[in-house]
Amino acid sequence: MSELSNFMSHAVFHALAGLITLVSLMVVASKHPVKSAVFLVVDLFLLAAVYATLESHFVAAIQVLVYAGAVVVLFLFVIMLLNLQPDQLRGLRFNAPEAVTLILSLIGMFIMIGVSVAGKPTGLGDGSLTVEAIADGGGNTYLVAMKLLTDFIWPFELASVLILLAIVAAVVIAKKDHKDQPA
Amino acid sequence: MNPYIPVLISLSFGLVLGGALSALAALLGPRKPSTVKSEPFECGVPMVTSANEKMSVKFYLTAILFILFDIETIFLYLWATAFPQLGWFGIVEILVFMLILVAGYIYVVRRGALEWD
Amino acid sequence: MGLTADEFTVQFISTLLKFSILAVILLQVPPIMVLVERRIPAFMQRRKGPNRVGLFGFRIYGVLQSLADTIKLIFKEEVVPTGAHKAFYHLAPVFAVFPALMIAMAIPYGPDIQVFGHTIPLSVVRVDVGFLFIFAISSLAVYGVTIAGWASNNKYALLGSLRASAQMISYEIPLGMSLIPIVLIYGSLDLNKIVEAQTHIWKWGIFLSPISFVLFLIAMFAETNRTPFDLSEAEGELVAGFHTEYNSTKFAAFFLGEYVSMFVLSCLASTVFLGGWQVPFFDVRSLDQLVGFTGVGAFVGFGSLFMKAAFFMWLYVWVRWTIPRFRYDQLMSLGWKFMIPLGLINVVVTALALAAVRFS
Repeated sequence: MSELSNFMSHAVFHALAGLITLVSLMVVASKHPVKSAVFLVVDLFLLAAVYATLESHFVAAIQVLVYAGAVVVLFLFVIMLLNLQPDQLRGLRFNAPEAVTLILSLIGMFIMIGVSVAGKPTGLGDGSLTVEAIADGGGNTYLVAMKLLTDFIWPFELASVLILLAIVAAVVIAKKDHKDQPA
Repeated sequence: MNPYIPVLISLSFGLVLGGALSALAALLGPRKPSTVKSEPFECGVPMVTSANEKMSVKFYLTAILFILFDIETIFLYLWATAFPQLGWFGIVEILVFMLILVAGYIYVVRRGALEWD
Repeated sequence: MGLTADEFTVQFISTLLKFSILAVILLQVPPIMVLVERRIPAFMQRRKGPNRVGLFGFRIYGVLQSLADTIKLIFKEEVVPTGAHKAFYHLAPVFAVFPALMIAMAIPYGPDIQVFGHTIPLSVVRVDVGFLFIFAISSLAVYGVTIAGWASNNKYALLGSLRASAQMISYEIPLGMSLIPIVLIYGSLDLNKIVEAQTHIWKWGIFLSPISFVLFLIAMFAETNRTPFDLSEAEGELVAGFHTEYNSTKFAAFFLGEYVSMFVLSCLASTVFLGGWQVPFFDVRSLDQLVGFTGVGAFVGFGSLFMKAAFFMWLYVWVRWTIPRFRYDQLMSLGWKFMIPLGLINVVVTALALAAVRFS
């Protein structure tokens, strides 16, 4: 990779990271739950952009498809299902559990900053997966598929059990007292 | 060229066009507001309650089942891209995966979770 | 990566060019379709339809009707309903427009062209994940509908948007599943490669995987909320559905989003099932050498794809004036109880058949 494109990818990453932080803050700071959900869509979309800049095209697409396109729809439906008005909700206030969460997140953040300043972050890869190697190997999606369906076969099959459990749980929860619900 | 440059161009064009269409409405048209005109449309009947009704739990169930089956579809896509290389091994693998989920699907149908009444 | 600066410039400028041409074409789709959707039913029902609007006494079959409609829409007063959630009310049209325009960029509109030694693909966006990109972006279209209905403070709009969004997410699964056999058969997620593999008419997706075609066609109608699945705007019960409270250019935005996504899905169906820019019994790419002028093949290919997409657009209108609307429970059980099992069976059968042929 040339000097210029290296600089560009860093610039793009830092711009995206800044935006994501900003939008994430808006998600938690918004008074209205629907507003939070819309900011969450933007947030997840920007995260997908980060994956895309890291050449993880498949993860980026799935990020948009599943998180931005499906999970937040569920959030919106739940918000509308409960139909909470802004005055029934608390804004961002600090009591004991939230303060503990905040402190823990700050500690985590400082550890991560410390690690990244102290030395090169050690990734899992051995450096053989360059952009060119991925393109030669048949593309990102294909390589992910091969890896998942050969080396990670047990986690893959367990995922189906996990989805099965989620299906059963969703039906049990939602069907429990559906006669009391308004139509 | 990075393949995401065109994505970025089309995204910004879409956002700008949508934003422009949304903003032009207020700029170009005449503006003669009145209380009756801006009432939400209720077929001429005065509005009794606000439209913030609670909705059926069915929609929630549909959304959560959608996520789960969406994930299944994505796994099927992953398998489909590596289909020629995996061969019969991949087919057996995906059949086991699908059978477990079909069990879940049959449970959903049996419990009547897909009935809309 | 690995490109010279010169190559980068060529690709960048050609991208801008392709993008601009395509954007102009896409923006012509709604006005044309508005007229078509009034003239075709008129023809079917032996009426005249709008044939009056003209300029300087020339009526030209009412072609200018859409222009008049557009001008009227632009200069309408905007009425924001009382009690509407203002920010979301203004935001919803943006969500309705941009996904449709974005996914239109991923369709290959013709074979690659060679200009001064540079290969220029005739699709604006070409990413590693192929048409998963289209699914990913089009899954964002549901927010336009949901937010519009919720923000309007109107019961009809809310009900319409809930129905429409539940319908759109339900049919996204059969839509996705119907294309898995296509990936199995052609062995690629890349739409360009899928088109290139359909060299002969018997290699078209519609013949190799007819069930996929049927599933895709049904899901395509449901995804765009068109008849017989236009429950979201069942005018007998819900006035106009989620855009009841929208007028002026905001209404135009929803219109644009709907027609562009119809057009894109038509193009996708043509690309995957009807050979895309391929012409039956003839290789378009050989035209360049035959005529001796670069770009002729691409132009003919584009025309071929456009004709196929036009067929699907016409089908939309035809079905709208032929088949009555479904009931909501029928719609949901068609999606969940018929199309999803059929889609799964289709995948398994295709995989087994292919394996029997290829791995034996």
